[in-house]
Amino acid sequence: MKIKGLLVFVSACIISVAWNESALAASLNSGLGPLEIRPQFIVSQPFLAMTPENSSTLKAGDAKLSFGIEIANTFVNTQGPTEQITKKEIDRGLTKEDFYDKNGNAGKGYSLYLDAETKRKNVKYKYGILDSLEFKLEIPFLSFDGGFMDSSIESVHSMIGISNFKQGGAYRALSERNQYDYYVVKDGEFVHSSNQIIYNVRGEPSMGLKWNLSEGGKVMPAVTLKLSYKFANTDRSGEQKLVRSGGADWGHYLILSKGFDNWIVYFGDGKTRIGENLGFASSISHEFMSLEYRINEEVSFVFQSVSQSSIFPITAASPRSTTGENQEQRNSNLSVSTSVSAFGYKFVSGPIFWETGFVQDYNNFGNETDFVVFWEMGVQW
Amino acid sequence: MGNGGAVVKLLLKLFLTAGCLISFSSSVLSVEQTVVYFALQAGTQETGTPAPGVGQTDSYLSTLETKHGALKENRQVKPKVLSFDFYKTSGSVASGFGLEIHKYEKEYNFENDNSKVNISAVGLLYGLNFYYRGDFWFPFLGFGTGNYSAKVKEKLVTASSTTYGTVFGQVDKPFYYKFGVRIPINGLGIIFTQQYISANFNVATENKPLSLGGTASYVGLYYGF
Repeated sequence: MKIKGLLVFVSACIISVAWNESALAASLNSGLGPLEIRPQFIVSQPFLAMTPENSSTLKAGDAKLSFGIEIANTFVNTQGPTEQITKKEIDRGLTKEDFYDKNGNAGKGYSLYLDAETKRKNVKYKYGILDSLEFKLEIPFLSFDGGFMDSSIESVHSMIGISNFKQGGAYRALSERNQYDYYVVKDGEFVHSSNQIIYNVRGEPSMGLKWNLSEGGKVMPAVTLKLSYKFANTDRSGEQKLVRSGGADWGHYLILSKGFDNWIVYFGDGKTRIGENLGFASSISHEFMSLEYRINEEVSFVFQSVSQSSIFPITAASPRSTTGENQEQRNSNLSVSTSVSAFGYKFVSGPIFWETGFVQDYNNFGNETDFVVFWEMGVQW
Repeated sequence: MGNGGAVVKLLLKLFLTAGCLISFSSSVLSVEQTVVYFALQAGTQETGTPAPGVGQTDSYLSTLETKHGALKENRQVKPKVLSFDFYKTSGSVASGFGLEIHKYEKEYNFENDNSKVNISAVGLLYGLNFYYRGDFWFPFLGFGTGNYSAKVKEKLVTASSTTYGTVFGQVDKPFYYKFGVRIPINGLGIIFTQQYISANFNVATENKPLSLGGTASYVGLYYGF
């Protein structure tokens, strides 16, 4: 604790000495910004999730309108090790008994069979209220289907020595490619059970405010507070229940950024509070680190790492058994936090801006997407 | 630590950085330049030795020792570290950002029975670094955070049964500080690093913390351009 105490003391000295200097200095502490990609795991799609964002804001009176699409491939089969769910069971239609353990007991916690590609289309509008205060409105449209990426993902697994018949390959080989199945079971009962494809179902809109507290300087980082709010739409009939939570969510991100010539580093720490959690987690914490390399004023490459807590809360599932790895052990691990890394390209030319990239998980505990591609294009005036 | 505490921790790190930058910027003598380094390092990490000042003693393995006998192995692991750094130099001093990937695996066995625990961990650490650029050597120090992912696989034997467990875990807010030296030889060079990492995660099977960090010493090669 002595080092932490020293940090507090040094920090206090620094703040008093540095603030004036930093306020006057002209230093570039933001570029084209981090990749604005939210968690895409299918179970968390109905809820608000905070996204990394640039520390800078639109100037007063400026506006941005954009359209983006995020395509996420997710495959999780918690029954894979016992081969209880294979092509045969899927063809006949899954029942909740398929999610019991191999002795026929309903396990505790969550069991999953997720074979889906989600397509989240976003219409985003941003407006600069003040030079340092920005407003955002976002309306999502969601599609859940079998997609097209399974074959490519399995090929990449094979190429780098990961077996699609084993845990590393998520037991993908037990299932048909490019099918859609969305089954979530909690304590032996279905929470979600769907194999009906949905297209462009309107999700719940969200709005946000982003306040650039300081642009920083040669010494101090830029500091920005971002707040988001998702409106509740209680119409959850039919397929809408898969994309709407019916509750109001809100969240915050504290974003800091610092420039080192062509390199700009962004950090963020935030939390989403979920109003109607439907039996899932009541809040999700987020952290990101983003590293932007500016090729020139118009083009940047971005590497990003994002961690977030699981949408699955801790349950009574036991992490130990006397019979080798069992169902509850796998269920227990679904509540672990996850991380993804992302790589993207950002481009601005006059009023046009463009962002594209991909996201890859690197600690697949069964509660994260496998692979995401995203693209956004818009105009600014 | 709550979320508010985490934010304070993040701010502290950045303010400390700012302080170092102030002192460095006062000694600007020559043209600014950005330097990029890639490094590959290996060494030893004492996971049972808490990082001074920030680490906490863990108790997961010691709890198992009370039931299954002493560990046959010590707590030393041998990580491989791949790092990427960039610096903005101002005369003989430099400040910048670093990104590191740590990876290790170790199996522990117990004296009294055939119980064993296998621990594998991958860390993605990032933070701020500060350099002095001398004529023949470049000492540096740094600190930061990131995340650690771990897999703990247990096979625990008792007189009446054998239990199995596979537990995943993630440390969302580890903290590290380090110091070391680079010795440049044209574009290539040798790097020595002493690093202290606080990264405990709770192993669900025993509900006890396990240290993934500790005190580490590495040596390796780097390439700068």
